Amino acid sequence: MALLQISEPGKSTMPHEHKRVIGIDLGTTNSLIASVISGSVSILSQLDGVNLLPSIVHYAEDRILIGNEAKEHQVDDVSNTIVSVKRLIGKNINDININNVPLELTDGGGVINIRTRQGLKNPIEVSAEILKKLKLTAEKKLGGELMGAVITVPAYFDDAQRQATKDACKIAGLTILRLINEPTAAAVAYGLDKKSTGNFVIFDLGGGTFDISILNLSEGLFEVLATQGDAQLGGDDFDQKIVSYLAQKYQIDLKDLVNKKNIMLVANQIKESLSTKKDVQVNAEINGTKIKELFTKEKFEEMVQDLISRTILSTKKALHDANLNLNQIDGVVMVGGSTRMTCIQNSVKDLFKQNLLNDLNPDEVVALGAALQADILVGNAEEDLLLLDVTPLSLGIETMGSIVERVIPRNSTLPVAMAQEFTTYKDGQTAMIIHVVQGERELVDDCRSLAKFTLKNIPPMVAGSAKIKVTFQVDTDGLLSVSAEETSTNVKASIEVKPSYGLSENDIKNMLQSSFDLAEDDKLSRSLAEAKIDAEQLIDLTQKAIDEDSDLLTKNESTAIKIAVTEIIAALKTSDTDKINLATKKLNTEGEPFAAKRMDRSIHKALTGQSIKKLEF
Amino acid sequence: MTKNYFEIFNLPEKFDIDLVLLQDNYREIQKKIHPDKFTTSTENEKIQSMIKSTQVNDAYLTMKLPLKRAHYLISLHHKNKKIILPPDFLMQQMEWEEYFESIQTEKEKINEFHKMIKDKKNDYSKLLQNQIDQKKDWDAAAITVHKLQFVEQLVSKISQELLN
Repeated sequence: MALLQISEPGKSTMPHEHKRVIGIDLGTTNSLIASVISGSVSILSQLDGVNLLPSIVHYAEDRILIGNEAKEHQVDDVSNTIVSVKRLIGKNINDININNVPLELTDGGGVINIRTRQGLKNPIEVSAEILKKLKLTAEKKLGGELMGAVITVPAYFDDAQRQATKDACKIAGLTILRLINEPTAAAVAYGLDKKSTGNFVIFDLGGGTFDISILNLSEGLFEVLATQGDAQLGGDDFDQKIVSYLAQKYQIDLKDLVNKKNIMLVANQIKESLSTKKDVQVNAEINGTKIKELFTKEKFEEMVQDLISRTILSTKKALHDANLNLNQIDGVVMVGGSTRMTCIQNSVKDLFKQNLLNDLNPDEVVALGAALQADILVGNAEEDLLLLDVTPLSLGIETMGSIVERVIPRNSTLPVAMAQEFTTYKDGQTAMIIHVVQGERELVDDCRSLAKFTLKNIPPMVAGSAKIKVTFQVDTDGLLSVSAEETSTNVKASIEVKPSYGLSENDIKNMLQSSFDLAEDDKLSRSLAEAKIDAEQLIDLTQKAIDEDSDLLTKNESTAIKIAVTEIIAALKTSDTDKINLATKKLNTEGEPFAAKRMDRSIHKALTGQSIKKLEF
Repeated sequence: MTKNYFEIFNLPEKFDIDLVLLQDNYREIQKKIHPDKFTTSTENEKIQSMIKSTQVNDAYLTMKLPLKRAHYLISLHHKNKKIILPPDFLMQQMEWEEYFESIQTEKEKINEFHKMIKDKKNDYSKLLQNQIDQKKDWDAAAITVHKLQFVEQLVSKISQELLN
């Protein structure tokens, strides 16, 4: 059923030109998928007819259940039924309070391992199971293979959590067009629906994460001004307050996983009831202990006051970073199931002194926004909308005395790059290690370790004379990459990355192999088909580029490109995948200077509104 | 990209620029070159887009923030001579820092002090504008911009304190 009308009837894209893409909201509690069909965006319901897929994975004896089927086992088989796995992704065992998690967790080094009857499972592969199911549903509903997906992450997710999410998608066989931040996705759904302009606050409280983003919405462009949040604050924590209270009052032993699970369910029910009632009569029995009391809204609100204060403080910080006053905000949008709590709504309303915008379903708005963005990215959409997002956490490097030196400040618009110069401290030193961290604190230990980058092949010189320029680049997915160059000799140092969290390339390769039992022949023919498509596409696009900007080509560049194209055409006549890929790579290399000049021309044309033949550098 | 930032954003080369026009022009450029516009393009276009879009973001930040803009303008005209701040200014800075320490918990005094330092910041900004745009006195501007930097850091420190 269509929820939002985006283009006018008659103007929607022809079915056969339309690329099959979806938006995915991989939530802590529930996951959703959405797609734009015939010009309007809607949630793709699960095969059982329900829109929400509980983010629950159950490892049975000989199969894996996902969603509602898995949910049925959350009490009778606690340790094999994984709930809220999003709270564990991109972390290691020291980062979490294991007392709050009703699972058997062990230290997996860069990941947390969960002990199940099917062996040790890490959060990345568990998430991949959910994603596989979502992909299957989408392909069934849309009638074919997906070209790609946009997947959302909390704005406050760090590099490790983002990379882990991408890895999960890879294992599930999904082509990711972009990672986008949940509040930004909500703004897209909202902004496009209402055609709003101005400064908007997105207050997103989900099951496990809290984000507050401030965006400026204008025609054809949404710009994030600032973002704040807490990747460890969500509805589950509100439940936890009730759990602690009940466990203490009724002397319930939380070390027992079944007890823990049961009491969490009771707490969750109490919380949800209090969204609409002023009190709830609790009548439950946990392991023989009877729980009987009248739980009032006031009692609950008192218990969670500190959690609410944390969200309000984050909100104020974001406003400060965005350089805006409360009265410069044109609207406040509530996103995420947990914003249904009246105490949250009241606090936010009190702060902004305006009515809250929550007429779009807070559970669905993120997936809808992701689907709209997917549509825009592949060129399906009539709308031309650009999202400018920011990096939520400052990036720094460890220096003497375990102090952090900030390299990229938080809320920098993406893509962003900063360079820092280092030097050697021993004669003839050919390598150095750079430890990159994320966070706002002064000391390395108080920040989040991202990775250790080892720079090798530094030309040996006298101590202190090497000038090593290290460039830190954060891309539009919010992921960091590092490059280094010794500037007096122009030698590019090679970089070995050792991420502090997550899986190695090899681990992922192994998981991919076990995930897809494709016969060797199938794999080979698939590679060949892909190589051919890439090559043909490149030739086509190269020709188009030459048609538009031939005056930018020097004679040498033109000849080199022509030769490279001839070589691809020859390679395409063979069935040699490697040969085709090499020829494609060559055309890319020969076309580099041309591409640079074309991009400069685009910058210049952007402000002059007419094509210019003569180039000014 | 060898153009200077004023050329990129099509703005006259001075300190007092039209910030609305700067934002509009920045947005028009990003609408054309941002990586999201090249999701299904060639490798080269993706790489170029990432490089240029990043450079434009850096240029925009420099132009948007008065202090950075001033530094940039001065760097276009003034060789990197060593800046020596007058001792009476440094004394004033120390006195301000000490005063700020002493009024740590007194919210009203902090608010008053915040306002006073913000006014000082505005004075320096106006002076800087005059030195750059009217007098074209690069030596004087180089000193004022450093004074402004100190004062801005103090404003920031006070704001942070008021937030917590």
